[in-house]
Amino acid sequence: MIELADVHKRFGAVQALAGASFTVRDGCITGLLGPNGAGKTTALRVLYGVLEPDRGRAAVDGRDVARARAAAQRRLGVLPHAHGLYPRLTTREHLAYFGRLHGLTGTALRARVDEALGLLDLGPIADRRTDGFSQGQRLKVALARALVHGPRNLVLDEPTAGLDVAATRALRTLLGRLRDEGRCILFSSHVMQEVSALCDEVVVMARGTVVAAGSPAELQRATGHASLEDAFVAAIGSDEGLS
Amino acid sequence: MRRALSLAGVVLRKELLDSLRERRAMAMALLFPLLGPAVLAMTLWVVGRTAHGAVERPLALPVAGAEHAPELVAFLRGAGVEVTAAPADPERAVRAGERDVVLVIPPRFGERLRAARPAPVRLVLDGSRQSAQRAISRARALLDGYGRQLGMQRLLVRGVHPGLAQAILVEETDLSTPESRAALVLSVLPYFVILSVFVGGMATAIDTTTGERERKSLEPLLANPVPRSGLALAKIAATALFAAAGLVETLIGFGLVPLLLPAASLGFTVRLDPALLLRTFLLCLPLVALLSALQILIAARARGFKAAQTTLSLLMMVPVLPGMMLAFLPLTIRPWMALVPTLGEQLVAARLLRGEPVAPAFVAGTVAATAAWAVLLGALAVRAFQGERIMFGR
Repeated sequence: MIELADVHKRFGAVQALAGASFTVRDGCITGLLGPNGAGKTTALRVLYGVLEPDRGRAAVDGRDVARARAAAQRRLGVLPHAHGLYPRLTTREHLAYFGRLHGLTGTALRARVDEALGLLDLGPIADRRTDGFSQGQRLKVALARALVHGPRNLVLDEPTAGLDVAATRALRTLLGRLRDEGRCILFSSHVMQEVSALCDEVVVMARGTVVAAGSPAELQRATGHASLEDAFVAAIGSDEGLS
Repeated sequence: MRRALSLAGVVLRKELLDSLRERRAMAMALLFPLLGPAVLAMTLWVVGRTAHGAVERPLALPVAGAEHAPELVAFLRGAGVEVTAAPADPERAVRAGERDVVLVIPPRFGERLRAARPAPVRLVLDGSRQSAQRAISRARALLDGYGRQLGMQRLLVRGVHPGLAQAILVEETDLSTPESRAALVLSVLPYFVILSVFVGGMATAIDTTTGERERKSLEPLLANPVPRSGLALAKIAATALFAAAGLVETLIGFGLVPLLLPAASLGFTVRLDPALLLRTFLLCLPLVALLSALQILIAARARGFKAAQTTLSLLMMVPVLPGMMLAFLPLTIRPWMALVPTLGEQLVAARLLRGEPVAPAFVAGTVAATAAWAVLLGALAVRAFQGERIMFGR
């Protein structure tokens, strides 16, 4: 379970987050939807412990990110917006490195790495250096890396950006499987179709706060719009920055 | 604590592997430390050749107008000079570097000599040419000697004691030993020792900090449950290992050069035995830690790859100043100098390499001061990794 409570964050003159609060349940795919600049990435960065909020708190399975960062991070798999691979390391070395950083060693580590390679069908490129990988291959490596320690919670920042249709569909299938295993999945997007196709729950952000949250049906009901698109636009207050 | 250490070990291993695979940076890191030994080899070779060769070989002196002064030419031959025919245009030949010095005897030489008036001769030379200095001064000394000899004969003929004309007698006692001649060469070595520490770890320091941020791999790394201090220390350690490798390479190079060049036959000896090199290595270990921490601190706070590279390259020039002072000025060791990182090490290394004694207190002070600086800069580097500062630099 992931919680954000009244999180504020300011960068110079820009108020990136102004009291953002939401809860993401286990066994559920939650979409964080909002136009560019709504504060989605900042909210996720506070959540996985690379940014410090000015006010408010974030917690993963009840572990406060500010006070027990390592404990919270151990329960979290993270796919940041930029996948950030090491060009001189192979796929397998990436997974092994992150597995070790989560305390895995020896046979347990090897088993987990093989499992993650299998899960994302990375066998054929397991021992190639990531330099020159396609966008889809990079995403799969970064995703396998986020999953190698078997986290209960998964956070993905715009995972479908730059992916072709086949890769997007494969990702959707994988996230569905992980959800069915009871994990808590939070992903951000500014693409409405993607969110409506994939999510059980939606959190809509605009101008640094949460403007609506609930299942797509609930959102339609609350805003009084028949189409989900109209419901989103009504919640955000404009259709600027959405696609 | 044990967990933090083992995680730092994981990061260290990855950084070493990653750095070793960066071919171009590695080639640079491995080649640069050979600069010092290369300079040593060249200096030994050049100094040895000019000092040694010129003494042994007879002076070859082209003389124009030899027929105007047969007695002078005979005197020169008697002193072992190889008198040769002068080139048609002596000035052009000297300017072009074909001759070191040319003696020109004008036609009126004999007539003036017979009239007991100063007889002119002309030496054509280029005073700015270092390699010609020995030939020039030998030619000058011989001509002076001939002139003095004639002058004394004239006094004797007139019944005057020649000693009267010589008011003072200069005696020279040359205290230069083979070692002290070698010391001139050795005085530039400490700087190269310091430089090798700088260069060995530089690529790794930048790649693991600014490089990691620019490749965007820093964010996923920071999302892992690794203490930031462990992260900083692992990166400092990776940098330090490459810096130490550069240092070892330079020192081994210094040890090998005198073995490959027969320095003793060049008129002086350079003794760089393994025990001496090991002591220099141990002396520089705290400096390895200090410079690695400093490089990580600067690179972690740099805006980008280019900025980091520029700042670190400029930083490399700082120890040049004491290095140059050591080479060209007689710098007296004062206690406060031990407190200045790189200065203390260069002073001690210079004495060690010259085979001179160093006060143990000064060595201890240098090592302790540098170690203290290393701890301070290490703490600052660890601090630079805390919180969200590391995400953006500055």
